Amino acid sequence: MKSLSAIRVFQIPGRTLNDQVFIMRLSLLLLAVVTTPVAAHYIPVESTPVTVDASMVMTWRSASLIDDYDFWQIPGTQMGGHAWPAQKGFSLDEMNLNLGYRIDENFFSVIKLGSHAGGHEDHGGIELEHAYLGWVCCDDTGPWVAELGKMSARFSPGVAMHAADRWFSEAPLAVDVFFGRHFHDQGIRLWWHETAGVSAGAELWRGDAFPATHSENGGAWDVFARYAWQGGRLSLEFGGWFYSASADARADHRYGGGHQHVPVAPPGQTAALFPDVRYTGDTYIVGLHGKLGYRLHRDWLVTVETEWMRAEMDGAVHDGINRQAQLDATQQAGWVQSALNWRRQSVAVRWEQLSTDNALVGAAAPQLGVQSGLDNPQGHTPKRMTAAWSWQWRDGVTVRAEAIRDESLLTTEQRWTLGVVWKQRLLPQGASMHHGH
Amino acid sequence: MISMMRNFPPFKKYRGGHWLFALCIFFLPFLAGCPEQSETRIDDMGASRSAFDWQLPAGIPLPREPESNPMTEEKFQLGRHLFYDDRLSVNGTISCASCHHQDKAFSDGRERPRGATGHLHPRNSQGLVNVAWYNSLTWGNPALGSIEQQVMIPLFGEDPIEHGINEANFEQVLQSLQADVQYAALFEKAFPEQDDPLFGDLAWDNIVKSLASFVRGLTSFNSPFDRNELSQSARRGEALFDSERLECFHCHAGYNFSDATVDRTTTTFVEPLFHNTGLYNVDGLGAYPEPNTGRHEVTGQAQHMGQFRTPSLRNVALTAPYNHDGSVATLEDVIRNYASGGRHITSGPNAGDGRISPIKDGFIVSFSITEQEIADVVAFLESLTDEEFISNPRFSDPWQDAE
Ligand code: HEC
Ligand code: HEC
Repeated sequence: MKSLSAIRVFQIPGRTLNDQVFIMRLSLLLLAVVTTPVAAHYIPVESTPVTVDASMVMTWRSASLIDDYDFWQIPGTQMGGHAWPAQKGFSLDEMNLNLGYRIDENFFSVIKLGSHAGGHEDHGGIELEHAYLGWVCCDDTGPWVAELGKMSARFSPGVAMHAADRWFSEAPLAVDVFFGRHFHDQGIRLWWHETAGVSAGAELWRGDAFPATHSENGGAWDVFARYAWQGGRLSLEFGGWFYSASADARADHRYGGGHQHVPVAPPGQTAALFPDVRYTGDTYIVGLHGKLGYRLHRDWLVTVETEWMRAEMDGAVHDGINRQAQLDATQQAGWVQSALNWRRQSVAVRWEQLSTDNALVGAAAPQLGVQSGLDNPQGHTPKRMTAAWSWQWRDGVTVRAEAIRDESLLTTEQRWTLGVVWKQRLLPQGASMHHGH
Repeated sequence: MISMMRNFPPFKKYRGGHWLFALCIFFLPFLAGCPEQSETRIDDMGASRSAFDWQLPAGIPLPREPESNPMTEEKFQLGRHLFYDDRLSVNGTISCASCHHQDKAFSDGRERPRGATGHLHPRNSQGLVNVAWYNSLTWGNPALGSIEQQVMIPLFGEDPIEHGINEANFEQVLQSLQADVQYAALFEKAFPEQDDPLFGDLAWDNIVKSLASFVRGLTSFNSPFDRNELSQSARRGEALFDSERLECFHCHAGYNFSDATVDRTTTTFVEPLFHNTGLYNVDGLGAYPEPNTGRHEVTGQAQHMGQFRTPSLRNVALTAPYNHDGSVATLEDVIRNYASGGRHITSGPNAGDGRISPIKDGFIVSFSITEQEIADVVAFLESLTDEEFISNPRFSDPWQDAE
């Protein structure tokens, strides 16, 4: 009956006979579905206790989004984390080496080393992104799973996704602005985990990941639920989440923060000192997401995906010379993307938008508004459009090219990219990794 | 929608409905787009309102105005007359302008000035540049929070004697002002709410408030630095100034080049900052020679020894000699003292090695610097000179203009 409720979505009042034929055909297909649960590929199973996966994304971009000695601050937002701007030339967007080990019937562990593209002063060193212990119950991969350690968040598919898994080399604007691109933190997660069906859980974080801070009043937590369904031609997934973070004097660690260095520019260029404006307060973000995959034919697959986030900020922005202003903000961002695969080729488009509605109140509001990036005198609503073509050249190697129209800043920038994605399961040999686009 | 599209001629040819469905899915993103408008509302709660025209460039926040003495142009103009008036002293020899010359950004070029009766002041005459933005007044007095309080010190102070006005002579000094008809009009305009501002009980209060208003209105933000007209050398100097090697910018911070800056945007109470820059170490424990022990002179606390307020560096090229006692002749020498991490005095009563002072500030660390780099830093400091400030007729001697 799951399938019937799923297709109800397509029943439009006043449909024509053609439609009904179409829907009936669809329903038949859906009813004939054999739901094939996909193994949660990150949990090593007892039969193959050791898994090693590697991925690497290397991209060449035709233009930088901003000048080398400038800061990427999208008007109307207060950014941070690891949301570095796109830079001209080659960039190792990311590299991951993941080791999973099944300890026994109930326990497993994961260690992942990763690096992502840094800013101008190369912040892209190798980091221990994951180191956690998991416990599974009741089956090889769940449905009950508890994890503890340093890990990535699972509440949002957009936040959890890496450049090697996306159709596009650049992270969604929403993820860059609300979560500082990469979310790795220490915490615990408990979830009911059904790869085809209902998943729901909660995560509790120490607060190292933007937009929280790890401090006396800092930290973050989230809850999420989603429903996945897969049939012969159609696959569906939708869900929602709520994330809450608290921060004390949160800095934009891309350019500021405790270890702020004075930027040094070559002769003839200037490098301004970054205004170290902090945020203390709460951030609440809700998200909704959906994904629909439709296989037309053995060789043809079309998918459409969306995620929409709405963030509320309630706190104060302040700086080192005791200026402050109260911030009350509602910001929304999201994207819709679709992809069409034909054999080893695919084309994908992504459309993104970010809208901000901020109120800054306080004697220092004008100055801090400008310095934090929250001011938006032109009422700019950032947008971005990306079109990508990718070709899976070898089993683990994909070549991709993109054209990007970037309106995240006041001036519209166009750039194109050419890149390779290498993604492979190294152990056990011969097994190919689930290609999770 | 599907039905509409299926009936649309170009699509009719398609055999399978699922092809069309797939196409719709694929093109869905193109239909997306919310007309949502973004906006940031800024409310500074009146912080940018003032009855006075401060003549500030955009981006410089207004200084605080005391509630008991809001700024007006009329008080500013009265204060300007008083500032340049020799009659405002025990023997008609000294005005504020005797120690505060406009062409030297209101410093006086001397190591230490003498008062009306010949007393030598222990400290160097300060330039009066953007004084309105300081959170404490004078070289190192944490207790002086307002310009009104500060102005009373040269007028009525006894140690040292500056203007030399006291119980015995204040009526006579006031009478000399009352005798000038110009003042009657100026006082009336400045204090319209008072019946008799020049002859009444509040006359001295009014003098102090007007002088303070004039000093508060001495604003300087039009240097080549502000106009972004730096020479190559000054640019290199700026980079050095802002570098972790020289550390200057930590204390000489912000738009007024001083961490002792407050303005209307700094809403919370700020503990005034004072620093020991290692100029003296007369006892091996970091002591400064009496009476110039800075914040310690006022608080008596040992840990405040040698701590002074960070002076603004705006117009600093005009205010030699330097430091609280005028003991450093040139900017080059100031920088050399910083480069050695303090000053080493080898002979005389103040001999001692400030470089090893145990109580100097953590940012006073030695660094290597070439002569060219010193010249670059000096070029940067010179770029903070505001020529308009030192020639602005608004700030000049009104008595001379009248002649
Ligand atoms: C005899 C010389 C002399 C005279 C006359 C004099 N001053 Fe000063 N002024 C000084 C000195 C010296 C200092 C530094 C005082 C200290 O550190 O204790 C100073 C400091 C100041 C300051 C503090 C500036 C700052 O950056 O904190 C102000 C304001 C000031 N004077 C205003 C006046 C006014 C107004 C008058 C006239 C009523 C006046 N001065 C008369 C020598 C003088
Ligand atoms: C630890 C804080 C601090 C640092 C760092 C610092 N200064 Fe100062 N600066 C002060 C203080 C405090 C004074 C006044 C000290 C005194 O006279 O006793 C001062 C005085 C000066 C003066 C003399 C101003 C005058 O009117 O007499 C100049 C010029 C100056 N500093 C330039 C610099 C430069 C250039 C650097 C970097 C090499 C620097 N300062 C680093 C705190 C600092």
